[in-house]
Amino acid sequence: MTALLETRNITQRFSGLTANSDVSISVGRGEIVGLIGPNGAGKSTLFNLIAGAFKPTEGTILFDGEDVTALPAAERCQRGIGRTFQVVKSFESMTVIENVIVGALVRTTNMRDARRKAHEVLAFCGLDARADVLASDLVPSEKRRLEVARALATEPKLLLLDEVLTGLTPVESQKGVELVRRVRDTGITVLMVEHVMEIVMPLVDRAIVLDLGKVLIEGSPKDVVRDPKVISAYLGDRHAVGA
Amino acid sequence: MDKAFIQRRRRDLIVAACLALLATQVPRYVTDVYIQNMMIMTLMYAALSQSWNILSGYCGQISLGHALYFGLGAYVTAILYTKFGMLPWFGMCAGGLLSAVIAMALGYPCFRLGGHYFVIATIVIAEIALVLFQNWEWAGAALGITIPLSKQDSWLTLQFAKDKLPYFYFALALACVAWFVTWWLEDSKWGYWWRAVKDNPVAAESLGVVVFNSKMGAAAVSAFLVAVGGGFYAMYVTYIDPESVMGFQFSLLMALPAVLGGIGTLWGPMLGAVILIPLTELTRSYIGGSGRGVDLIVYGGLIIAISLARPQGLVSLFSRKRKPAAQPVREAVAS
Repeated sequence: MTALLETRNITQRFSGLTANSDVSISVGRGEIVGLIGPNGAGKSTLFNLIAGAFKPTEGTILFDGEDVTALPAAERCQRGIGRTFQVVKSFESMTVIENVIVGALVRTTNMRDARRKAHEVLAFCGLDARADVLASDLVPSEKRRLEVARALATEPKLLLLDEVLTGLTPVESQKGVELVRRVRDTGITVLMVEHVMEIVMPLVDRAIVLDLGKVLIEGSPKDVVRDPKVISAYLGDRHAVGA
Repeated sequence: MDKAFIQRRRRDLIVAACLALLATQVPRYVTDVYIQNMMIMTLMYAALSQSWNILSGYCGQISLGHALYFGLGAYVTAILYTKFGMLPWFGMCAGGLLSAVIAMALGYPCFRLGGHYFVIATIVIAEIALVLFQNWEWAGAALGITIPLSKQDSWLTLQFAKDKLPYFYFALALACVAWFVTWWLEDSKWGYWWRAVKDNPVAAESLGVVVFNSKMGAAAVSAFLVAVGGGFYAMYVTYIDPESVMGFQFSLLMALPAVLGGIGTLWGPMLGAVILIPLTELTRSYIGGSGRGVDLIVYGGLIIAISLARPQGLVSLFSRKRKPAAQPVREAVAS
């Protein structure tokens, strides 16, 4: 079976700055893949390219065997790519359930079905009790959950999680980890950006490390954390020598 | 499932039906022609503002150029009636469709503009149209078009010389239609898409909302309804010229009731119009003689007061407090 997502030689330049250069990665069906790397490594750029926020300068993106490089974000969502945002983008004047209904409406135009789906997803994410609260009244960690719920309501095949576990308390992030596992158990492939290694490594099946816009290494979490190149990228060369 | 939500929708519908029924009885007790005229104008502006609210309130694309669609509706109806002998009912539909098409044609470039630039574009386009009509000989240029009075009152030609009451019922129907369309769209894919576009277009796009199409749809529906109102206005006043149907004040008078009552809400434009339009008419007749524009000053002040004290509009005074949001659910803390 072909990979669910494949990027081929992706290069993205922002007037002089090369954020991604020649990035080729693939994500298999049912995997949880972590995209990690130090700040400025180009994780978020690659993410936005996959989600369709903008088009790459060079390279192609294949999703489910089809070239989606030129498709706008909305079309990619319809094809089955769901995403969250690093800086949460709730619909603040709408209630929690209404936020999720927007997502559910990609798959149905029947309002009853959309509402039912939204409730299901909220229950799955542990937010159902807050359904009728305005999104602007949620606490930050709930807003993160709402991001996930909204994306799940679009019934994605691939869910892109952009630092959903960052900046949470240990208890909160543990719950987040459980949620991601449950998402995968429903058959959804997960690609997640994180830079907190301790949280991501136990969770992912495979890790891809970006550094300075390039793929540094990819492999099982165990191998990746021991790799001198990764340690040097995160901590500097001095520490890598000791490893 | 979601009983509260369904109940609220049903309650809105019942309240609206009751209010409409009550309104039909008002002319029994109010026989003064001046007051009747005021009620007709109030209902018309309620309908216009409700329609404006679809694009600018729900979808968040603030237009201050809706006078263009109002004027188009008035002109198409008047021209088809006087030059081609076509019934105003047909003229209103034709004007509505033309306006919807033009709204989309203008939206095609304009919806790429963000925020204030979009607002400015709408103002400029309406002003250009005004100047064009002022110089268009065939359409009467600055002299305008007079709709000749027919001898017989008739619903077919919407001509009622003796008695203004039929216009009252027509305006009431118009307001009801605009309200009902909004009510219906509010719980539809379009309604949700529009609000999502208003709140955060980037997030909306990531959830499969085609932002551009959403704006186009809102513009078309909004322009259609406003143009129908314009057609009605032409038949009601029986004389139109560019300034009297396409002037900037119409754009304002559509926007202000919605802003006063509550922008992007179902009842806001209605409530706003009921307060604002009689106020305008009264100030114009009692203190307007001393100089044009005093009426505008009065509710300009009112709008400022509202936006400072109650930016969500007056309807927010009626809405019951939402469920207390104070206690975040502990279970929902992660992710």
